[in-house]
Amino acid sequence: MSWLKQLFSRRRFYGELSLEIREHINERIEELVAEGMPKKEAAAAARREFGNMTLIEEDSRAIWQWPTVESFLSDLRYGVRMLRTSPGFTAVAVLTVALGIGANTAMFSVVEGVLLSPLQYFQPDRLVMVWENNPRFPRVWVSYPNFLDWQRTARSFQQMAAGMEQGVDLTAPGTPEHLNGEEISSGFFRTLGVELALGREFFPQEDQRGGSPVAIISNRLWRNRFDTNPEVLGKYVTLDGVDFTVVGVVPSGFSFGHQYADVYTPLGRSDPLILNDRAAHDGIFTLARLQPGVTLAQSQAEMSTIQNGLDQLYPDANRDLGIYTEPLKQVVVGNVDRTLLLLLGAVGFVLMIACANVANLLLARSAARTREFAIRSALGANRLRLVRQVLTESVLLSLAGAGLGLLIATWGVRSVVAAVPGILPRSENIGLNAPVLLFTLGASITVGILFGLAPALRSWKADPQASLKEGVRGSTSAHHHAHNSLVIVQMALTLVLLVGAGLLFQTMRHLWDVNPGFDVQHLITFKVGVSHALTKTPSSTRVAYQQLIGRIRQIPGVQAADFTDTVPLSGQGGTMPFWIDSQKPASLQGAPRLAMFLTGPDYLRTMGIPLLQGRFFTPEDTTKSPCVMVIDSIFAHIYFPDSDPLDHTLSAGFSPVGPCRIVGVVGHVEQWALGDSSAYIQNLAYFPLYQDPDQWVPLNYPETTVVVRTALDAAAIMPTIKATVYGASSDQPVYNIRTMQQIVWESMSSQRFPMILLGTFAGLALLLASIGIYGVISYSVTQRVHEFGIRVALGAGKQGIFRLVVGQGLRLALAGLAIGAAAALMLTRLLSSFSHLLYGVGASDPLTIVAVSLVLAGVTILACYIPARRAMRADPMVALRHE
Amino acid sequence: MKTREQRDLFPGALEMMILRTLKRQPLHGYALAQHIKRTSNDLLQIEEGSLYPALQRLLKEELLKAEWGISSTNRRVRIYKVTAAGAKHLEHEVSRFEKMLDGITRVLAPGES
Repeated sequence: MSWLKQLFSRRRFYGELSLEIREHINERIEELVAEGMPKKEAAAAARREFGNMTLIEEDSRAIWQWPTVESFLSDLRYGVRMLRTSPGFTAVAVLTVALGIGANTAMFSVVEGVLLSPLQYFQPDRLVMVWENNPRFPRVWVSYPNFLDWQRTARSFQQMAAGMEQGVDLTAPGTPEHLNGEEISSGFFRTLGVELALGREFFPQEDQRGGSPVAIISNRLWRNRFDTNPEVLGKYVTLDGVDFTVVGVVPSGFSFGHQYADVYTPLGRSDPLILNDRAAHDGIFTLARLQPGVTLAQSQAEMSTIQNGLDQLYPDANRDLGIYTEPLKQVVVGNVDRTLLLLLGAVGFVLMIACANVANLLLARSAARTREFAIRSALGANRLRLVRQVLTESVLLSLAGAGLGLLIATWGVRSVVAAVPGILPRSENIGLNAPVLLFTLGASITVGILFGLAPALRSWKADPQASLKEGVRGSTSAHHHAHNSLVIVQMALTLVLLVGAGLLFQTMRHLWDVNPGFDVQHLITFKVGVSHALTKTPSSTRVAYQQLIGRIRQIPGVQAADFTDTVPLSGQGGTMPFWIDSQKPASLQGAPRLAMFLTGPDYLRTMGIPLLQGRFFTPEDTTKSPCVMVIDSIFAHIYFPDSDPLDHTLSAGFSPVGPCRIVGVVGHVEQWALGDSSAYIQNLAYFPLYQDPDQWVPLNYPETTVVVRTALDAAAIMPTIKATVYGASSDQPVYNIRTMQQIVWESMSSQRFPMILLGTFAGLALLLASIGIYGVISYSVTQRVHEFGIRVALGAGKQGIFRLVVGQGLRLALAGLAIGAAAALMLTRLLSSFSHLLYGVGASDPLTIVAVSLVLAGVTILACYIPARRAMRADPMVALRHE
Repeated sequence: MKTREQRDLFPGALEMMILRTLKRQPLHGYALAQHIKRTSNDLLQIEEGSLYPALQRLLKEELLKAEWGISSTNRRVRIYKVTAAGAKHLEHEVSRFEKMLDGITRVLAPGES
């Protein structure tokens, strides 16, 4: 008989089998009756002789079955039936699992999208970035002449390309707009293995000084400015006043690095000041594809050899320069990996707490179902089968929870990404894709088995005899033990999460209290693309900028306004080597660094930075007057501890400016991050914008930001400011409008992001844990109603009963808090990525731990209140009558 | 709880007895059970029911075949017959059993050493 035929003829076959067995017994009864036995006794005897009918029938059937699958299906049917008979229990359990799984799925999809999934290029793990480095910095922007030499000589790479972010003002076709742009070398897209949607890459002869102006545009720009016209190739875009011929369109969804670029132009056409100067390290990155079979270490070794050769050839520019190669993905992901893994761990805690809750619910229910299992086991069901039944039910629960959890996750992912925009690289990559769904499935089955284990073990140990005896309440002490330990674990986990969230909250509070060194209120910043018709020469550029800022200052409501090339805390700004007086160091690469601000004369007053000594710049500090600089208090403190800084001169830069006289000392400003006391360059210096040498004007002026101090709202004054700027020349876009408060707020996002998420997880944990302790106490009150009745009958006061119940809850909570506090102390110390995030508060801050413990104890008392009230109402008469 | 193995003598013994009995004459389940009990002089205290899983096993392996018929007491019963494969299997099993029994007897034989 083929198995298929078996499958179809089985139903009839089963009927025949039961008929056959029934007939067997009837025949025996008849025979016994014929021998003179009374009918009733004969029936009993026949059955006794036959054995366990149900089991035998089941065993006989089992021979024809594909046993595991079929018993699984029947377990499944039974499980669904059981869950439907207790909708309240099912709803609570499913919701609990849904919260746990939902939060985990959301977090995992972020980790998957950002950290795990491969980059969207051809064989992305073969792509590396090549940086230069020096004794002070692990990564330094690459010098273009060095890059050209590498490209010619390196054998480790199939292709090598370079690029540099460069914003551009688009003035035609359409309305003027500032765009993110990228200057790239020819072969950039080939190195990435990306096919253009339309057209071609740059030819090498276009990627050089004097090459014809060609551009590759983004899919977005193609859509917005050219209506996705396939004839776009050969048309023009006007960028920074020059007409570029469109030769290619990037495929939609393509992005490289941290920003989405709209325009790509040849790097070789960039400013010769940067390209021709071997000592310039000004924003150029290098990308390369490893030859098949070549490892990262081998390429690093080869590149170091090449670099050593170059260092000897060009000692002035290259002394102390090394090489650092790293996987492209590492660069793209940056340092969020540690934070994300920390958060994934935290959300795992939430799932464990949810598991403990469901395990407790299932345990309580399995106590109620003891008789059911006893009867089934007495009827001959084997233990393994019962355990499997219990596990099937719990996995069913967790799968239902996971289904709902996916809904929560879709919403959660969107909130996570939106919570702190811009902090997550590759955020467009985050979503509920196949690996995430697989994770959810795996997680839900695992937790289903996990929280089903306790009740399953219980049913394994169930003694049918004991529980079938009427009136015996069963041995519940071991049972209570399980409940209690689960609650203690929950409390401990919740405490750890709350401590983490609390520490980050404290950090945020302290960061807010940090004095940034300037007046954050009432400041608006924005950029202006000054018309290219007005900036043909350095001197006309200076005039155009002076006139622009003059017009802005005239606007009613503007108290002060000026330019700066660097806005503190905005992530802008770089460092350069410097020396004092005539102590020029042998190697600029190894020289001390400063952070330089190029500003207008009214910048200090606009920002509200205090002048401590001497003077700040005046409109009279121009290219025609002696060169001057201003330093900040930290600079003065570090480098002029014993002398008057105003007696000295300063020279700075790779193509040095100076020596310039130090004419003033101003207050320190938090430049890189609030509360950043790291060893990173904290000594700041200021240089007058209008003293910037001619050759630097075309590079530096377009980089400047306007800072405006006004008592008015940004929304109220910006229309006037825009009207004024457009009034001067209609092809001048105003962009990047942000208030200083926004900038400060965003500068804290690396702490704010984990704080929001950890806070959410801790809140979720608190909710689940309080439900957990409520459930256990309330269950125990139900079990002890008798005992309370007797206590009341013996004269115990209601207060006493109340204290008894709340005391039970508090004891559990305290045990959990003690374990949790110990765990929190260990964990926060172990996780360096965590202490890294903290500011103004130690990882083992006693205040936080105590405060959080008090919150948890308070929540415990609240959760015990309702069951305790119920216990107080225990009626001695009811209890005694029941005995 | 009794395990099922305890009801059987050794694996395959019950099947062997069923095949042997049915080879002599086709019988239905009840008659088969009574026959085995009787001929073993009630020495084998098997539960009558334990025959049925064994019968299913033999049916599935096509060592037996079954047909519905009417018994001597006028009941609708399923009558089991040994197939050719069943007869061959029985022969094989019996010779294996005899070899085993021979071995056991030698080991248990008193005092030659």
